[in-house]
Amino acid sequence: MNKDKTILIVDDMEINRMILAEIFKDNYNIIEACDGKQAIDVINAVPDISAVLLDMVMPGVDGLGVLKEMNKKGKIKLIPVFLITAAEDEKMLLEGYNLGAVDIIQKPFMPHFLKHRINNVIELYGHRNELEKIVGEQVERLNSMNKSMIEILATAVEFRDCESGEHVRRICNLTRLLMTEVSNRYPEYYLPEPEIEKVVTSSILHDMGKIAIPDSILNKPGKLTKEEFEIMKQHTVRGYEFLRQFPNVMDEGIFNYSCDICRHHHERWDGRGYPDGLSGDDISIWAQVVSVADVYDALTSERVYKKAFSHDTAVKMIKNGECGTFNPKIIEVFEDIMNRT
Amino acid sequence: MDLFEELRGLGVNIDEGLNRLGGNEALYKRLLGTFTKSIKSYSLNPDFGSDEYVEITEKAHAIKGVSGNLSITPIYEAYSQIVSLMRCDQPDKAKDVLKNVLPVQDKIVNCIEKYM
Repeated sequence: MNKDKTILIVDDMEINRMILAEIFKDNYNIIEACDGKQAIDVINAVPDISAVLLDMVMPGVDGLGVLKEMNKKGKIKLIPVFLITAAEDEKMLLEGYNLGAVDIIQKPFMPHFLKHRINNVIELYGHRNELEKIVGEQVERLNSMNKSMIEILATAVEFRDCESGEHVRRICNLTRLLMTEVSNRYPEYYLPEPEIEKVVTSSILHDMGKIAIPDSILNKPGKLTKEEFEIMKQHTVRGYEFLRQFPNVMDEGIFNYSCDICRHHHERWDGRGYPDGLSGDDISIWAQVVSVADVYDALTSERVYKKAFSHDTAVKMIKNGECGTFNPKIIEVFEDIMNRT
Repeated sequence: MDLFEELRGLGVNIDEGLNRLGGNEALYKRLLGTFTKSIKSYSLNPDFGSDEYVEITEKAHAIKGVSGNLSITPIYEAYSQIVSLMRCDQPDKAKDVLKNVLPVQDKIVNCIEKYM
């Protein structure tokens, strides 16, 4: 049983290592280390160590040193460490517990108890690690399903707009490129990678409110009248109001980003956008980024009321402010990305 | 008389030591042989000076751990005391314990060596 599992025995005294190896050799693969440094090398090099039996007092790197290193590398959460020691220094033993040791076993130890204690903890860790893996996979699956549902919803709206669903995918891609580069280049706009992915997912829903706009306006081949344009502008607020009704359907972060992007992706840097007339960094960076991505895609796509502009013309129009004023830092990043493609 | 019987007479808890190794007599004998080499290499002198306190404590701690695991009770008990006394800043008392245990230790080591 358990021969697929490995125990690392760390003790500067060969006799102690041999005794422990004798106790566990029938059920586990045994690796021995004669000091703390060697133990750290083994822990870093060998995957799937099931437990570490660690002496406290050793020359050079001692047991506490090994625990500290395991904390630094995040290994302490994955591998149970038993301190096997003749030391009785309460302060030192307490520090061992504080550094993540699961148990302290005093020398001389009773082999039967030792075996049971270590076997039990190895089993528990095995189950826990397995459960964490399963939960992780389920969360990933749920996130993926969540994203698919959002995409389906957004594509349904796009279909009303005579789009194929490609628009949302293009917006996603450009949002990811822009947001990542803006985040890397400007510390004030920094977002960790998982948050950027949430912004990307949220960008899918930017035009959600178009579901509330009549077909006669949404698909009008010619220029909209002033009244019609006022109705069209309402898609920002209508989308926001629609999404606000479903706070528990999606991840909290995606919910907040989506609502904000929906409402503010037509705001402009100089305050001349809609619906709230926000200006500068009063507009969230994610809404600003999606604005640029949306305008670029609208310019380069054919619509019922216009032909598609070329890539170069679209970039020039955005740069020249023909589609409203954008944050100069985003425009700089946008130009760099467009020059690369 | 064999090794285990003689060691029993010197206070070594052979049954407990063997039990720790699952009854493996050959391994127990081998470890006793290794123990004699280790303890000789440590050679603690009862006239140690104040500059040797840390070293003496570490060596006594190592002997305590090994002798405890092999159930060499007289040595384990004496070195446990030495470690405690050294940690409580009572080196003179530790020296007395060391002086008393050294002849017992010699007897045990000689006994083991006789059978190796």
